[in-house]
Amino acid sequence: MDSNKKYWKGLEELNQTPAFIESNKGEFAEPIPVEDVLNEAGLSTRTPRRDFLKALGFGLGAVTLAACNRTPIHKAVPYVIKPEEVTPGIPNFYASSFNGQSVLVRTREGRPISIEANPNAIGLNQGTDAPTVASVLDLYDMSKLQNPQIGGKDVEWAKLDSTVIASLDKAAAAGKQITIVSNTVNSPTTLATIARLATKYPTTSHIQVDAISYGGIIEANRNSFGKAVIPSYHFANAQVVVSVAADFLGSWLAGEEHTQDYIKNRDYKSLKNGKMSRHIQFESGLSMTGSNADVRIAIKPSEEGAVLIALYNEITGQTIAGGTTNAKAQTAIKLAAKELANAKGAAVVVAGSNDINTQALVNAINTQLGAYGAIIDLDNYSKQYQGSDAAFQQFLATAKAGQVGVAFFLNSNPIYDYFNAGDVKAALAKVDFTLSFADRADETASELKAIAPASTFLESWGDASSKEGLFTIVQPTINPVFNTRQVEQSLLVWAGDTTSIYDFVKLNWEANILPGTGKVWKDILQSGFVYKGSSTGSSYSANVDVNSVASAIVNDSKKIAGAVELKLYESTVMRDGRYANNAYLQELPDPVSKVTWDNYAAINPKFAEELGLGENGKVTVEANGQSIDLPVVLQPGQTMGTVSVALGYGRTKVGKAGNEVGKNAFPLASLINGTVQLAAQAKVFKAVGTYELAQTQTHHTIEGRNIIRETTFAKYLKDPNSESGRFADSHKTYDLWNKFEQPGHKWVMAIDLNACTGCGSCIVACNVENNIPVVGRDEVRRRREMHWLRIDRYYTIEENGTKFTKEKEIADIQDFENVTVVHQPMLCQHCEHAPCETVCPVLATVHSSEGLNHMAYNRCFGTRYCANNCPYKVRRFNWFNYWNDSRFDNYLNNEFTQLVLNPDVTTRSRGVMEKCSMCIQRIQGGKLQAKIENRKLKDGDVKMACQAACSANAIIFGDANDPESEVSKALRNERVYYVLEEINVQPNIGYMTKVRNTFEA
Amino acid sequence: MSSHNESILREPLVTGKNITYAKVTDDILLPVENKPNKAWWIGFIVAVCGAMLWVVSVGYTFWTGIGAWGLNKTVGWAWDITDFVWWVGIGHAGTLISAVLLLFRQNWRNSINRSAEAMTIFAVICAATYVVAHMGRPWLAYWIFPLPNQFGSLWVNFNSPLVWDAFAISTYFTVSLVFWYCGLLPDIASVRDRATGLKRKIYSIFSFGWSGSVKTWQRFEIVSLILAGISTPLVLSVHTIVSMDFATSVIPGWHTTIFPPYFVAGAIFSGFAMVQTLLLILRKVLNFENYITMFHIESMNKIIMVTGSIVGVAYLTELFIAWYSGSEYEQYAFANRIAGPYAWAYWAMMTCNVISPQLFWFKKIRTSIPISWILSIVVNIGMWFERFVIIVTSLHRDYLPSSWAMFYPTWTDVGIFVGSIGLFFTLFLLFLRFLPGIAIAEVKLLLKSSSLQQKTKLVQEGAFPDEQVEFFKKSLGKYDSVTEEDIKALDVRN
Repeated sequence: MDSNKKYWKGLEELNQTPAFIESNKGEFAEPIPVEDVLNEAGLSTRTPRRDFLKALGFGLGAVTLAACNRTPIHKAVPYVIKPEEVTPGIPNFYASSFNGQSVLVRTREGRPISIEANPNAIGLNQGTDAPTVASVLDLYDMSKLQNPQIGGKDVEWAKLDSTVIASLDKAAAAGKQITIVSNTVNSPTTLATIARLATKYPTTSHIQVDAISYGGIIEANRNSFGKAVIPSYHFANAQVVVSVAADFLGSWLAGEEHTQDYIKNRDYKSLKNGKMSRHIQFESGLSMTGSNADVRIAIKPSEEGAVLIALYNEITGQTIAGGTTNAKAQTAIKLAAKELANAKGAAVVVAGSNDINTQALVNAINTQLGAYGAIIDLDNYSKQYQGSDAAFQQFLATAKAGQVGVAFFLNSNPIYDYFNAGDVKAALAKVDFTLSFADRADETASELKAIAPASTFLESWGDASSKEGLFTIVQPTINPVFNTRQVEQSLLVWAGDTTSIYDFVKLNWEANILPGTGKVWKDILQSGFVYKGSSTGSSYSANVDVNSVASAIVNDSKKIAGAVELKLYESTVMRDGRYANNAYLQELPDPVSKVTWDNYAAINPKFAEELGLGENGKVTVEANGQSIDLPVVLQPGQTMGTVSVALGYGRTKVGKAGNEVGKNAFPLASLINGTVQLAAQAKVFKAVGTYELAQTQTHHTIEGRNIIRETTFAKYLKDPNSESGRFADSHKTYDLWNKFEQPGHKWVMAIDLNACTGCGSCIVACNVENNIPVVGRDEVRRRREMHWLRIDRYYTIEENGTKFTKEKEIADIQDFENVTVVHQPMLCQHCEHAPCETVCPVLATVHSSEGLNHMAYNRCFGTRYCANNCPYKVRRFNWFNYWNDSRFDNYLNNEFTQLVLNPDVTTRSRGVMEKCSMCIQRIQGGKLQAKIENRKLKDGDVKMACQAACSANAIIFGDANDPESEVSKALRNERVYYVLEEINVQPNIGYMTKVRNTFEA
Repeated sequence: MSSHNESILREPLVTGKNITYAKVTDDILLPVENKPNKAWWIGFIVAVCGAMLWVVSVGYTFWTGIGAWGLNKTVGWAWDITDFVWWVGIGHAGTLISAVLLLFRQNWRNSINRSAEAMTIFAVICAATYVVAHMGRPWLAYWIFPLPNQFGSLWVNFNSPLVWDAFAISTYFTVSLVFWYCGLLPDIASVRDRATGLKRKIYSIFSFGWSGSVKTWQRFEIVSLILAGISTPLVLSVHTIVSMDFATSVIPGWHTTIFPPYFVAGAIFSGFAMVQTLLLILRKVLNFENYITMFHIESMNKIIMVTGSIVGVAYLTELFIAWYSGSEYEQYAFANRIAGPYAWAYWAMMTCNVISPQLFWFKKIRTSIPISWILSIVVNIGMWFERFVIIVTSLHRDYLPSSWAMFYPTWTDVGIFVGSIGLFFTLFLLFLRFLPGIAIAEVKLLLKSSSLQQKTKLVQEGAFPDEQVEFFKKSLGKYDSVTEEDIKALDVRN
């Protein structure tokens, strides 16, 4: 309804007087003199000086006022419809497992970003090894296949399935064998799916072969005990450990689990109780384990058997022929045997050899020592390495004979890691249909007819059983990112089974694993594992004919004895080469040589001199009819006349980061007595050219400085303060600065030099947590690696009972075999009087009220003065835009791989300084969590990434203001000293003296 | 200045015959008022090529990042700060000559101060480029100044020597520029008065309306004195503050209280050497032999000898204190300089800076132009090595041996250094082309007191005793600008 009401403002309007009409024409009641101002006369008027100043003053004032606004805050808008259980900014943790270790996967907004040990697990539950921490990067690896392939061309899964099934049918019809060649498979699900395939195709067989074979131990145990297994070792129960060439803290079997156990008898808690184990190592190359030994004797690979025979003789009082004639070894063996015999039941001998006879002799010794049971557990045995070299030989023979119709390769890459790749190629040529489950077209997969790329463990359902009775679950934490399918699902499809893999795993667990445990499926998804084994094994006695074993050892040793002997070894970092495309691992320095991005020939400096080699030299290493050229590392501690070369390098088809890094040394191995042997007679001669290795540390001794303080166990027992030499005990210090109160928290750290083995998994954990870029070989050569945390490794060279650490004195040394090593984790010390803070012109690095040295990346303009003035040299500068510069494209320069970045930590641009932040994001996260739960922060709520990765518990972090915190207790230890405390920078990280349990003369 | 008769015992500061005020102006403005000669063009082209190299090297660094240099996690400063300190040090001689010598009424400064001050300004420009170029994020260089900003309460760190440095260098540059420009005003006015057309207009703008009235001259004198007063402390303070970049740190080899005097002496040492390098060429090419005489050359050589000796004593003191301190890090730092991987740099420094200036004890050497010129270059090579030794050998092996590393320069490092020399000479040659290289007005002051012509006249008038005249005659022997005829003229009595 239209309103016909009219409103008027006054009588003038109502009456519409002419005056009103006239005045209402304009917008304003009174006309504005625009015309007057804008006419010629108006424009040409001179602005009076006062008006000008007024206008200027007003303008300036207005602009100033307007500029006083703070920069506006832009709020991010979170999910409009929030997925269940995903809260932006809050990580979710899922229990899973990697290589049989129960782990927790941290995901943020649906993407996995890091992996930590499951603290409640059985076995290894504090810390992870470097490959485990780094494995999260493999999920985002762009070198992986994105689709299944036949003949090198992408196909649909349906097409692949029909091709595979046709081939299987054809093989079955022809009565030919169907073989699955894999590395060790201990997953009940995988084994069940293989069994399912075998039900449909009865000619199916499964062969396990490992790149690094432990067949010698398995066979020796079959002979000695009738159990063809590798035992579990519990070093926590061993007070005396003798290792003959076993890198048992590193790559030998379950190195990280051994570390966790071994350190329990050597760390600050054990020392506090007056206890420390003794570790004696006989080996040729300086391994990480050897670097941690109390006594280390350099022997040749061919002497390993002789040392064990002599040891057996000493322990039992027998006189079996073939004992070692090496004088240094003889002395050590006498003492070691006495120690071992005195500690019966708490003593163990391990040997790294893969020779059946040698391992049989070790079994005999360990039986004498009563090690079976508490230390060596044959009941709850390890299932990590079940490969059989003989079975693989058998497969090659069968295949060559044309009897294999189909061969599947699962986690197996023999063309790269079998010593005779030609043999494998010849055998494969005779197989009708070959397929690999590799996630990339690797050396073997690229030679095969089809590839069915498997999803990574982070995208798959599955399980593992690394130890008898221990079952761990693998849960997916993200949907498959590429068009991949997990192996088990593929096998089920080909077996004609349409069960989804989730159902299959669940049913398999419910039928075969869970009964009797009182747990249900959901419990497992939460806890991640179930253990059905016993806590200790029972006692066993080895049945060994020592005389015949010893004579076989003597005979076989002759085969490798020579003027020069080669020892191939699995490096702690690169392992057997399967992780070669992981840039984090490539840039992780070797624990001993500190070399990154390459393998090398380790040679004693004196021996190198004899060969006419120096730094940056190259050698040709020739063994078993094969030869490779390698750069040289002058390695103190290396036995004269030996050369050590790491396996796992020289991949050619692994991906962008790992291709052509180092040289493949597998071809230098050989088969003796049915097992692959890594030692050989060799020839070494100088090669032409030079090669600069990328080392993160190039000066190897401490020059007599007191930055490392070490004592012996005997001295420690007399006085726990021994050699800790705290400056503050003998000097009064003065302060130029006002003391700032830190009433809330005061974050500090204690590092136990006796616990740190130098493995470096903390470095990788730090890289992953803090988005630290990998810079590549050339930049490491230029000494620009970005690691916030490094492990300094120092040698002390002993000659004729005198210890040398000074460059000039070492130049005159003749014998480089006797060397002691210390590993010192070095990171920002968060000094109370930080020299970096006073010199920064723009206050980009400042101290927090919680005792931390902060770095404000946004404020830094890169004068690098702070780094120069840092006495610990822990600051790292972004020389380039490493994470987004194609010249440093090791892994991160694509949008996909950048998903691995931790969203809690910003990436740093070029020209900015960075350094350890004490995982400030974790501290803040912990504080927030406590606040949400309305409680105080508890000790242990916040763990550093490095600390969480350390299986030796060498890094203890916490609040110094809480006198009951673990770190406060640790820092009250008598062994604590502070590095460079005499320059009064007041570091917040305390180190505990290195204690060596040496033989007292 | 003074109109009294100067003692005959003093050596003449201006030589040559028939020198009038007009002739002085003609002589000095010759290069400004005429087309440049071949020598200038050759020098200029070479210098511009160098400057282009500088542009390319700095441009490449800005484009890719500081990683283009050879620096690493251990050695965070090397050629950049070495070059910076080197250039700042060179600048010091100009200020010393223009300010300190003015206050001390050293008239001989009058003919060299202009070029020396120009050198100061160009050297400080070169130095300032490193301040910006060495930054990781040079586009934020203005953060060094405490500017109001809208980021919150962000301020600079007044504890940091780099902040002091920014103030010191900017103050130094400003004062030097003002001092130099004020001194130029009467000379620019001379050029203006003799020029025509556009040139006249331009010089007229730059002469700031100089009228030449008594009042103008009086104010000119006052301003010069005030600025000299302000500049004098800067001679000491700038390099003191530069030295504090090192002295306030904890790095062995840097953490030294001797640095301020040692750096100042070194700066004057290198600055005079650079003045010598430039002037010896300049006087020859531009025919300034009568204005920049052997007396100047010898005086500067004496200063080089004295400051070189101070520097030498400082080096030895450092060694003694390192030993006496009992600090193993300090001792190692110096043992490492002497016999470590960079020993060659240390011994190059020792030879060039300590031994070579001692040659100036010999009069023959300090009055020999070619040897003086070579030694002046040797001294600057030595001073470059001094900074390199202090910076690189201290950093490359400090506390923790695990981090010890070597520094190897890249082409960019070399390019920026060589390029900065090109930049310097480009500016210097342009200066010679457009502005008088000698302070005309100030030299004119000497004509009626300290010139050979005036002294000869007085001698001929019999104003001095004969034995003094004999002494004077002897002292003229070293002058390359004094002829036999000139000396004989002293025997004539009117």
